[in-house]
This record gives sequence, structure tokens and C-alpha cells, in this order.
Amino acid sequence: MLLRDLFSTASKAVTVNRMRSLLTMLGIIIGVGAVVLMTGVGKSIEGVILGQIDFMGPKTMAIFPGNDGPEGGSTTMRPDFDALTFDDAEAIDELTTVTSIAPVVFVPGDARYGREKADPRIIGSSPEYYLNQNIETSKGRFHDAKDEESSNYVAVIGSEIADDLFFGRSAVGKRIELADRKFTVIGVLKPVGMVFFQNIDDRIIIPLSTAVNMTGRSHADMFTLQSTNGFEIAFADVRALLRQRHGITVPEDGSTDNDDFLVRSAAQAEQILGTVSISLTVFITMIAGISLFVGGIGIMNIMLVSVTERTREIGLRKAVGAKRRDILLQILIESVFLTLLGGLIGIAIGIGIDFLLAKTIEKFLAEYQFAISIGAIFLALAMATITGIAFGIYPARKASKLHPIEALRYE
Amino acid sequence: MPSTNHSNGLNGNGNSTLIETRKLCKSYFNDELETPVLFDIDLTINKNEFIAIMGPSGSGKSTLMHILGFLDHHTGGEYLFHGKHAQEMDEDTLAKVRATRVSFVFQAFNLLPRASVLQNVMLPLIYHPTIPASERLERTKKAIEAVDLTDHSDYLSNQLSGGQKQRVAIARALVTEPEVIFADEPTGNLDSTSGIQVMQALQELHSNGHTIILVTHEQATADHADRIIELFDGRITKDTNKFKTRKAKRENSLKK
Repeated sequence: MLLRDLFSTASKAVTVNRMRSLLTMLGIIIGVGAVVLMTGVGKSIEGVILGQIDFMGPKTMAIFPGNDGPEGGSTTMRPDFDALTFDDAEAIDELTTVTSIAPVVFVPGDARYGREKADPRIIGSSPEYYLNQNIETSKGRFHDAKDEESSNYVAVIGSEIADDLFFGRSAVGKRIELADRKFTVIGVLKPVGMVFFQNIDDRIIIPLSTAVNMTGRSHADMFTLQSTNGFEIAFADVRALLRQRHGITVPEDGSTDNDDFLVRSAAQAEQILGTVSISLTVFITMIAGISLFVGGIGIMNIMLVSVTERTREIGLRKAVGAKRRDILLQILIESVFLTLLGGLIGIAIGIGIDFLLAKTIEKFLAEYQFAISIGAIFLALAMATITGIAFGIYPARKASKLHPIEALRYE
Repeated sequence: MPSTNHSNGLNGNGNSTLIETRKLCKSYFNDELETPVLFDIDLTINKNEFIAIMGPSGSGKSTLMHILGFLDHHTGGEYLFHGKHAQEMDEDTLAKVRATRVSFVFQAFNLLPRASVLQNVMLPLIYHPTIPASERLERTKKAIEAVDLTDHSDYLSNQLSGGQKQRVAIARALVTEPEVIFADEPTGNLDSTSGIQVMQALQELHSNGHTIILVTHEQATADHADRIIELFDGRITKDTNKFKTRKAKRENSLKK
């Protein structure tokens, strides 16, 4: 018997009973569809986060005052707003593993231009901030050391603030009011959207010295810094230096419990993402395994029914010369046909929903890109095929062993 | 009608032996219980014979035919087909014999219900080890033509009348050009007109060189055959060969 005959016989058997075939495949369809959808969504989210980490730069670190409590314990913040001094920043800048550092002072207040009003985050920082945060302008310039020296009232504004105050008209050179002081706009930032689920287009950056003058703060609200290649070494260096300067005794277990500062890095986030991604993959594979197993049982059940129903037909096929192998392969191919077709339908539905979802989310989160995991699709197809064989073999063997005359007499 | 390679003459007797049984027995086993159905069947069937096996129900005539047609196994004695012992054939050899040497026409037709006449008749060809796929359609069409159903090729088998169904079954039986065609009560489910048509078709196959073995309990059907073997309670009670009488009659009529 030719392979072509086997396929045409199997496909006929599947298409004759369309509703039943569809219901039989449902378990496989849902299982495979869910896997394709979930891996696709996972990949999209990963893409968004990786994009943001990339944007921040893998060597970017931030130091915050305070402590978020013992690791793995309660996460109640222990704020200590005066923990980081500008001297700390200078000391850190001396470290060979740190290439640049920018202390940050936040200035509360709103922004006004004529009758227009916006609600920005006003950031006072040194010119290194632009480098550390990987910021680019679309118009104008950043503030420089001169502005810093003379505590100029100049501002670099985020794209959203520019839109809110100027509606697309030129902003550079205009005088705006920040926290009731007059500032000159010297630059507008390129729009970047969300970074780590935070809008950063609403920033206004002013010279650090100006911010210190306005607020009277003698401490930094945070440091941003860039490290050399080995971020983990820089991480340890910075931590050791600050502990030494702050006179912190490290507990015996080496934990950060006694620290009055927090060090965070983009690379750290990337590591966490990697861990999450692996557990997500394991989780999805388990779901796929369970649903394909359940789907497989459904297939086996219906194949047994189908073999029983067609006992006479199988008897006839044997009477006209079908070998055991012919019958075995016919039923097996039928079963694989069902699981594979179910798998393909599942993939189509999974991709379809994934696509619609991506198109919807894209409206709120521009970085969310439609993505599918090719690996997951092939894995799903392979598993569907294996399911078809594994759960088709018993009914197929049963059919192939039928005695021709007994099968023909079957009522 | 497809031509065959078998001897086309009517001098069946004395021709080469096709089937031979020696003290062939058959018992059914149900758990430990043995139910014998055939006892010591000694039978020799030559090529191109037209045989009717007759007997009341329960006489074992269908069982005998199923054994001769390789659909069932005997449990005692010997069965030789072309001089080869049936009990020595493995599953694949049996399948090959069923595909190439013998074919069946059943009382219940046994057509594939949702398949067309063409597909039904073509079925044995997909299991045939030597006929190439390219010849299938041509052979199928020829077989359908032989039973006068060319107009119905695309009909589904459940759209046909009983007589038409049985003619499809006959076309299916002859499509592989087997040596022996077995017919199990081929007219049993048919009205008399259809029955006659079916018997005429079988007779035509015989005159084209096929060996025909049919099982029936109707004398009228059996009368089409040249040789009538009667079975009762699993034993052959009578074996009459009308062949010589017929031949003599025909020769007489030719002389006139």
C-alpha cells in the first residue's frame, strides 16, 4: 500500500465526520493555542523589558537612600532621605570601576507657560545625567558645566511637557515658570515613552546647583552612574565604599540589612527577567504537557470508538488483501492527522489572538511588539505528533489484529 | 470484461489442481468448549470450475468457503492451494494471497457506505502488491463496465439498489483478476430479477476463465454451477459434476 493511499484514506476518515473530528481535536487545539499565545505574549513582554534595559544601558546603576528591609522579609521602606551626600558622589567618582556619576535632586512644583500648565518631574542633576540616562535631544542642547557653575535658570524639557506647553510650536528660547521661578528652555528631549512602566517623557532637567539653590537640599535624592564593563565589580565597589563612608557594620551573613542605601542596576533587572523567563517556560511546558495528555486521551477514546464502528470495514479491507501493517498505519496516520490538524488549528488561533492582543496593547504601550516563538510552535507540533502516535498506537494495534471473518460478521 | 491469463477452455476436469483439502476439520473454541463444524473434508477443485456448495444453515458451508478463501483458519487436516500448505503461510503471505489470488462476494455486499462506486471497486487495488497505481483507474473502469454500472460510477454505494450493490461487489471482486471468486449467498438478499442478473454476471466471469465457488441454499442458484457439493452437518454428502452432461448436450446441439 502506498503512503499516498494511507494519507488519502486517513484524511477521508477524518473529514467524513467533521463535527466529531473537531470536538476530538478541541483538547489539542486549546492546548497548542494556549502555548503559542502564552509564549508569544511572553516574548513580547520580554522584548519590552529588554528594550528598556537596553535603553538604560546594561552598565547603568542607580543608588537610592534608605533600605527596603531584609531580603525576602517585609518590604517596608526604611526611608533615610539624608543618607547620600554630594561628597559620597565625589568619592564614588574616584572609583576606577565607575565612569561617571550624577547626583539627582528632585524639585517639587509645576511648569507654566502663559496660561498652559503641566505637571512634570523636575530633576536637578549634573551634565553627566544625560550620559548616564542615555538621553538625546530633538532640539536645542543639554545644560553644561558653565550653567552648573553659574547656577543658570535653564531647563531641558521632556517631549510630553513640550507638547503640553507649546503644542508643537518651537520651545527653545521660551521662558517658562518652574516652581514659580523663571527658566529659559534650552533643549527638548526626544520622546522615549515608557521605561519600566514609567513615563519618562514628563521630565524637566535643570542644573543641579540651581536645584540645590531652589530647595536648600544638602543631600542627593539619588545617584545615577555608569560603570565599566564588569557591573558586578562596580556594584561591590560602590557598596563597600558607601558602607565604609557611612560607618555601617555588615552583619555576619553579609546581607544588606544594615545599609542605608540601595543599589539597583539594569543588569540586575535583566538577571531577574532571565529567571522569570525560565520559570515561565517551565510553567507553559507543563500546561502544554497536561493539555496534550488530556487531548491525547480524547483522541484515543474517539479512535477506539472509530475502530469499533468500522470493524466491518476493517474486516473488508483485510478480506481484499490489507496487511496488518496497512491497517495499523491507517489508524495511526488518522490519529496523527487529527492531532497534527488540531495542532495547526491551535497554532493559527494562538497566533491570531496573540496578534489581536498585540494590536490592542500597542495602543497603550508602543514598545509592545507582536511576537511569536517559533521554537514553541515547532515544539507544539512535535508534541502533537507524538501525542497522535502515543495515543493512536493502542487503537491501531487493536484494529490491525482483528480477525477478518470475525470483523466481517461484527454487528 | 477483463481478459484473464487463465485457461479459457471449458475442459475444466483433468486440468491442473487449484485447491486440495485432505481430512480438513474446523472447530470453534469458546473458552474450553469445542464446537466442531467441519469433519474430514476431502476436496479437489481444478482451475476454472464453477462450483456450488449447498446445504442447510448450520451445515458448515460458509465456514468451508471462508477457509478455502483464506479468511478463516482450519483446525485439522490439510489445505493446499497451488500445492502450498495454507497453515504454513504467515499473516503477510495470507494478506498477499487475499490481495492477488482470491476475492469475495458477500451476501451483505459489504461496500464502504460513504464511498462512491468507483472508490469501492478500486479498494482492493490499493492493497495489491504488483498492480501499479497508474493502472488503477483503467482497471476499475473496466470492472465497472463489466457489470454494466458505468453510468453509476459516481453514485455513493448507499444510493444503489440491492442488485446494483451486489454488481458493484462483483466488480470489486474481479478488479484484481483473481483466480478464484468466492460468492457467499450472493443472491440471498436480492429479489429474483436482480438475483438472475447477478448469477449471469458470475457465469460470464466463469466463461472468461475464472474459478467460481459459491455458497447457496437455493437449488435455482446452484443450478448455474457445473458441480454441486452438498454439505450436511459438516460432512460432504454428495458431489455431483454436471459438467460432462452439459458438454455432451452442447456437442449434441452443435452436431444438429
